[in-house]
Amino acid sequence: MSHTLLLAKDIIKSFRNGEQETCVLKGIDLNIPQGKMLALQGASGSGKSTLLNILGLLMRPTAGELMLLDQSLTNLSDGSLSKYRNQHLGFVFQYHNLLPDFTALENVAFPAAAPQGRLTGELRKRALHLLDRVGLSDRSHFLASQLSGGQKQRVAIARALINKPDLVLADEPTGNLDQDTAKQVMNLLREINRTDNTTFLISTHDNNVASKCDEIIRITDGKIAPT
Amino acid sequence: MPFSLLVSWRYITANSFQTLLLVLGVALSVVVFVFITALINGLSIFLTQETTSKIAHVELEPPNRIARVLIDDSRFVAQPVSTLQRKQIRNWQQVIDIAQFTPGVSAISPIVEGNGFLVRGEATRPVAIQGVEPSKVDAITNISAYIISGSAELTTGGLVIGADLATELGLLVGTPVLLKSERGAERLLPITGIFRVGLASLDQRVGFLSIRVARPLFELPDGITLLGLKLDDPAKAPAIATLLHNATQLKATAWQEKNKSLQNATEAQGRTGNFIQAFALLAIIISISSALLLSTYRRRAEIGIMRATGVSRQFVATVFILQGVFIGALGAMLGATAGYLLCVQLASITGPDGDAMLPIAPNEGGYALVITLTILGAALAAVLPARAASAVDPVEAIQQ
Ligand SMILES: Nc1ncnc2c1ncn2[C@@H]1O[C@H](COP(=O)(O)OP(=O)(O)OP(=O)(O)O)[C@@H](O)[C@H]1O
Ligand SMILES: [Mg+2]
Repeated sequence: MSHTLLLAKDIIKSFRNGEQETCVLKGIDLNIPQGKMLALQGASGSGKSTLLNILGLLMRPTAGELMLLDQSLTNLSDGSLSKYRNQHLGFVFQYHNLLPDFTALENVAFPAAAPQGRLTGELRKRALHLLDRVGLSDRSHFLASQLSGGQKQRVAIARALINKPDLVLADEPTGNLDQDTAKQVMNLLREINRTDNTTFLISTHDNNVASKCDEIIRITDGKIAPT
Repeated sequence: MPFSLLVSWRYITANSFQTLLLVLGVALSVVVFVFITALINGLSIFLTQETTSKIAHVELEPPNRIARVLIDDSRFVAQPVSTLQRKQIRNWQQVIDIAQFTPGVSAISPIVEGNGFLVRGEATRPVAIQGVEPSKVDAITNISAYIISGSAELTTGGLVIGADLATELGLLVGTPVLLKSERGAERLLPITGIFRVGLASLDQRVGFLSIRVARPLFELPDGITLLGLKLDDPAKAPAIATLLHNATQLKATAWQEKNKSLQNATEAQGRTGNFIQAFALLAIIISISSALLLSTYRRRAEIGIMRATGVSRQFVATVFILQGVFIGALGAMLGATAGYLLCVQLASITGPDGDAMLPIAPNEGGYALVITLTILGAALAAVLPARAASAVDPVEAIQQ
C-alpha cells in the first residue's frame, strides 16, 4: 500500500466580492497517495482550479490544513511556499504555460536554473533528456512562441518534471488540444507516472482523459463526492 | 553567465525595436548632459585662459607693514608699524633665485611700477608705468602679439602704451610725450609702440618702459616694486603664492584673489549647468521607469508562470533591475560617444576670424560622471517596476 503524499483536511475557501461572500470549497478532505494518477472532475465553476491552486500552494485556503510528506504547510511564509513549489511540485496549466521569448530547452530548465543562478551544462543535458522523453528533442532550440499547442503542453510537462517533483498538478492540460493530441499528452503523462512513479492530479472536463487515470475525484457543491 | 542576466538580456532583446527607441531616448539625454557639461567647462576654461594669459599668476610685493615686537609695560605686543621707508624689494635677485627653483614657475619678471601723468599740450592723462627688462616685455602679457603700431622693443628707451590711452592723447608712434612721475621727475619720451590687448585695464592706463629708464623716474636705483610670476598651471597659483610667501615673507597674491568676479561667473555657469544635467538625468529615470513598468504589465502572465514554478520574488526583481541597468549602460555608452563626436564637431566650427564659434571642450564632457549617474539612475528607475513585477500574484496572472 502506497503512503500518503499530500493530505488536505477540511479545506474551506471563500471569495469576497464586495458585499457578497461566495464559499467555493466547503470542507475538502483529500488524501493523495504517492505514485497515483488522479483525475479531478466537476462542473464548470465547481472549484477545480481553486482546489488545485490551494494544493499547489499558489493560494492560501480560508481555513483547513495541508500536509506534504507529513509536514504541515499551513504556517509557512510566502518565500517558503515558493521554495516548496519549486522543489516538490510541478505545474501544467491550460494557457500561458511557457515563456515565449525563451527556447523550449530554456523553458524546461527555467525552474532549476533560476534558484541555482546558472544554466549549467548539466542542467541543459537534463532538460534535453526531458525534451527527448516528451518527443521534442529536435525542437529544443525553437522559441516557445514557435511551437504548436500540443508541443507547448509537452514542453510544459517536461518543465514540470525538471526538479523531480513529488506531485504534478495539471489544470486542464488538454483543454486546449484536439482529441488526438490530447490522447498523446495523456499517454505521455501515464508513461511518466509508470516509469518515474510521479504522482499526478489532473483536472479535466474530458471523460476520456479522466478514464486514463487511476481514480476520479469529483467535486460537487464544494465537497468531494463520495465514490 | 548568471541566469538572471541571461533572462534580462533576452527580455530587452526580444523587443528590439522598443528597446532601441528607449536606448536612443536615454542616449539623447546623455548627449544633452555631455554637451552642456563640455560647454560649461569649455566656457570656464576659455574665460580662465583669456584672463590668465594676460596677467601675472602670482605677484610678489613688499609687505604693507612690518610687524615689530614692542615691549609695552611687561607684555610683548606684536604691532604693525609704518616704517616711513620706500616700499620696495631690495634683495630681489635673491627672491628671483628662490622663485626660479620653485617647481611650476615658468617665468619671472622684475618690475618697477609707478604712477604718473602723460602730458601732451594741454591734455593730461594718468598712466601706470611698468618698468620691465626689455627681454621680458612679453613675460607676463604677450605684448608683442598685441602691437598694432610700432614695436614692443624697449631697448631704444621709448614708451609702449595702450591704444585707448594713445587715442585719448592723439599719440602716434614717433610722437614725443612728456612723462611726469609721481616722484616729480619728468622726461620727454618717444612713443615706440601701441598695443591693444583687449583688457581695458591695460589698454587705457598702462605704459611699458625699459627698467633702466624707469629707475631714475621713480627714484629706485636698485630696488624693484613688484615681481610678476607666470606658472605652468595657473590653477596652482594659490598654493605657490603661499609657498613663496613663507619662503620670502613678501606679500604674495595669486591671480584668483584679484579676479573674484571671474570665479563667481564660472560658478554661476556651473550651477546653471547642474540644473540642466539634473533634468537630463530625470528624463532618463522617468523614461526607463515607465517603459519597464509597461513591460511588467505586458509580461504579467509570464511572471505568474515563473512565480508558480517557484522562482523567487528576488529573482524576478533582479531581472527587471538588470534590464534597467542594461538599458542605462547602452544608452550611456551610445550617448557619451555621440555627445563626444557632437562636441568635437561643434568645437571645430570656426568663425570668420578663425576662432572657434563655441568655446566647447570635448574632453571635458563629464563622461565618467554621466555614465555612472545614468547606470545608477537606470537601476533606481527599475526599482519600482521590479517591485511591481515581484508582487505579481501567480494565480491572478495565469487565470486572466
Ligand atoms: N479570485 C476570485 N474571486 C472571486 N471569485 C472567484 C475567484 N476565483 C474563482 N472564483 C469563483 O470560484 C468558483 C470556482 O472557480 P474555479 O475556477 O475554481 O472553477 P473550475 O471548477 O475550475 O471551473 P472551470 O471548469 O470552468 O475551470 C467560481 O464561481 C468562480 O467565479
Ligand atoms: Mg478551472
